[in-house]
Amino acid sequence: MILAIETSCDDTCAAVLDGARILSNVISSQAQAHEGFGGVVPEVAARHHLELVEPVVEAALGEAGATLGDVEAIAVTAGPGLIGALLVGVSTAKAIAAARRLPLIPVDHLQGHVAANFLEPEPLEPPFLCLIASGGHTLLAGVEGHAGYELLGQTLDDAAGEAFDKTARLLGLGYPGGPLVQKEAEGGDPEAFEMPVAMQRDPGLDFSFSGLKTAVLYRCRDLGEDALIMWLD
Amino acid sequence: MLEESLLGRSREGRPRHATSLLEEVEKAAAAAGGWDAVDLIAVGLGPGSFTGLRVGIATARGLGVSRGIPATGVCTLDAVAAGISEAGADGRRLAVLDGFRGEVFAALYETDGSRTWDPFVCRPAELAARVAELDSPPAVAGSGAVRFRDELARNGVRIADDADPVHRVAARHVCALAAASRGGEARPGLAPIYLRPPDAERWRERDAVPRSE
Ligand SMILES: [Zn+2]
Repeated sequence: MILAIETSCDDTCAAVLDGARILSNVISSQAQAHEGFGGVVPEVAARHHLELVEPVVEAALGEAGATLGDVEAIAVTAGPGLIGALLVGVSTAKAIAAARRLPLIPVDHLQGHVAANFLEPEPLEPPFLCLIASGGHTLLAGVEGHAGYELLGQTLDDAAGEAFDKTARLLGLGYPGGPLVQKEAEGGDPEAFEMPVAMQRDPGLDFSFSGLKTAVLYRCRDLGEDALIMWLD
Repeated sequence: MLEESLLGRSREGRPRHATSLLEEVEKAAAAAGGWDAVDLIAVGLGPGSFTGLRVGIATARGLGVSRGIPATGVCTLDAVAAGISEAGADGRRLAVLDGFRGEVFAALYETDGSRTWDPFVCRPAELAARVAELDSPPAVAGSGAVRFRDELARNGVRIADDADPVHRVAARHVCALAAASRGGEARPGLAPIYLRPPDAERWRERDAVPRSE
C-alpha cells in the first residue's frame, strides 16, 4: 500500500493506493481562499496546506480503512510547483517516512499527471499521447511506457489555465477561470469577436497563449467597462 | 522523558531546514537513547521565515502522528528570552528576531519570564522608540538585535557580541518551555506565529490589469 501526498499548487491531496487500485483519494480545494485574487497566491496556498495536510492524510487513511502500519511507501509530489506549497507536503512525507522507516518516493509533478492515466476507472496502457493542461503547465507528452515520457511540445509562454484565469479576472468572472469562461462562452456568439490563434503555421507541436490573452485585454480596453458589463449581462 | 538534546544541536550559519532538519532530529533522538525515550516533540512556532516555520511544524506533526508522540509548539521569541535569562541577565529581557524586509519581530519579558509585550512586528526605529520609554533598559538578544544593533543599542540598552550564542534560538530552550507548559490546561497547539499577513495585497497590485482608461 502506498500513501501519496500532493501539495504543489492550491489543492491539498492525499491518496492511498493498493497497486493500481485507488482505496481513497481526498482532495481539499482552496479555490475559495484564492477567489478574490484571480489566481493562486503562493503564500496563501502554503498557509492553507499546513492547516490541511494532516487532516487530509488522516481522511485518506480512514477512507481506505488503513493505518500507517499498513503503508509500505510514501510518495510525494517533489515539483515543479509553488516551492512554499511543495515544502509542506514534502516535509510531511519525509517525516512520516523517516518515523516509520519507509521508503520515500519523490514524484515529478508532470509524471504524476501522466501516470494518473494508468489508474482506474479507465486505465490506459501505453503507447498514448497525453495533453497536460493546467494553470501552471501546458504540454504534450508521448508516453511509451510506465516510466517517463517524451516531451513533444509545450507552451512557449503562458499556460492555458493561466490565460483562462487572467481572462476571467479581466471580465470580472471570478476564479478559477476555466469553467467560468466556458460557461459564458457556451451561451455566447462565436462570431462576435475575432481572436488570434497562435502558431498555426509554425512547425512542431508547441503552443502559445500570451497573444490571445493580450488580445482579450486590448479588446476589453477598447470596449470599456460599461460595454463589458452589458455584454456579459 | 523529554530529553534536552532533542533538536538541540545548533547549526552554523543559516539553517537549511528542508534538507538537514530530519537528519538533525534523528541524531538528537539517537543521542537521547532512541525514539522510545522521547515522549514529546517540541517545535518553534515562530515568528520567523514563513517557509522555515512550515517545514518545522509539518515535520513535527508528521513525526508525532507517525510515532504516536504528542507534538507541541513554543513561541520562538519565548525561547530567545529563556536564553537571555540563562545568560544571566537581570531586569527585563527583549527578544528580537530579524523580521526580514527591514523589520523586526519582538517581545518583552519580565524577570519571571512573563510577557509584557506580546510578539509584534515593526521597524527597528519604532522598537527603539518603544524601548526608550521603558523605565530601565532591557537586556536585548536575538538575530534582530545583531542585525539592527546600531538602531537598538542606545540609551543604555545592552546587546552581547554578534558571536555570542545568546543570539541563536536554541532548541533546548524550545524543549524546556514545551516541557514546562505541558501540565497547563491550554495546549499551545501547532499554529505558526506569522505576525504578518500574506503578500496578497502586493500580489494584487502586481497583477492588476487596467480595465479601461
Ligand atoms: Zn498539476
